[in-house]
Amino acid sequence: MHELSIATGIVDEIVRIAEENRAKRVLAANLRIGRGAGIVIDSLRFALEVVKTAHPVLTSTEMRIDEVPLIYRCNDCGREFEADDLYLPRCPMCGSYNLRLVSGEEMDIKDIEIEV
Amino acid sequence: MCDTCGCGEGRRRTIEVNQDILRANREIALDNRRHLDSTGTIAINLIGSPGSGKTTLLERTIERLGRRFRIGVLEGDIETEIDAERIRKKGAVAVQLTTGGACHLESSLIHRGLHELEGRLDGRRLDILFIENVGNLVCPSFFELGEHLRVVLVSVTEGADKPLKYPKAFRTSSVFVITKADLIPYTDFDIKKATEFALSINPSLETIVTSSRTGDGIDEWVDLLIKARKRTP
Repeated sequence: MHELSIATGIVDEIVRIAEENRAKRVLAANLRIGRGAGIVIDSLRFALEVVKTAHPVLTSTEMRIDEVPLIYRCNDCGREFEADDLYLPRCPMCGSYNLRLVSGEEMDIKDIEIEV
Repeated sequence: MCDTCGCGEGRRRTIEVNQDILRANREIALDNRRHLDSTGTIAINLIGSPGSGKTTLLERTIERLGRRFRIGVLEGDIETEIDAERIRKKGAVAVQLTTGGACHLESSLIHRGLHELEGRLDGRRLDILFIENVGNLVCPSFFELGEHLRVVLVSVTEGADKPLKYPKAFRTSSVFVITKADLIPYTDFDIKKATEFALSINPSLETIVTSSRTGDGIDEWVDLLIKARKRTP
């Protein structure tokens, strides 16, 4: 259950940024979580709702989670493709294992919408 | 938009953040790392399930290296001093970190542990610091602690499929230690399969097969630690 620690980290950061910008309240927070990041989105959503109750500035914050697909680029033929999981993927065009992960491991706070 | 009419609605703004969720943990981890580098200490983070043989491997390691190197151990557990006591009996300096419920160690706890270790060392520097994480193959893999080397352990009774089921631990580690190899005759564990699965997640992973009971593979493990220590500043 690392999602609870992660939710605490997210909420602390949002509160810090909100205070820095003298926000009256935070309307929404946009998060980007990769498919291959190893985070259970439902657990994270649940944890965020629990953790945010500790901060009045977050009472009406909508936590939006954008799931980022797992995308590889083939170093041999240059094509990009989406994979279902992290296990030894192969390029569907040329069969190569020589790949680079383009996206899918993100765990980012993209932006927050505040009222000042 | 509405500062003057009195309807109470404030101005809305979007603040670009684009920041890693675990930034706070990572920053403290970097501080830990800088501190360890300044004292010439290599730190090794051991990740494995409860009962995978982390503490026993450390006991064997201290028996082999304890005279040559000054070894410290930060023992992560939810409760009790049991593991720290076991390590102290082998002659190493140990601090027990009890998380009180959390299933992994975070860099801030390591920071505190480093201070406590230093209190017990009276100015002497550590050559090797082992951080034994809380028994768990999932959550510890998310949190950098400032270690130089991350090691994932799986005992043969757990099964060869563990790398596939817990990919993050294997993706973020550089060494895979298979433990309790003396029990292989009593299990269906297939070393070749486990290694293949692990390499399918992380092609640069180095695998060592050990038995803390018979001593098999411990030389190889100890050699790896000595080499890793030479590579660090």
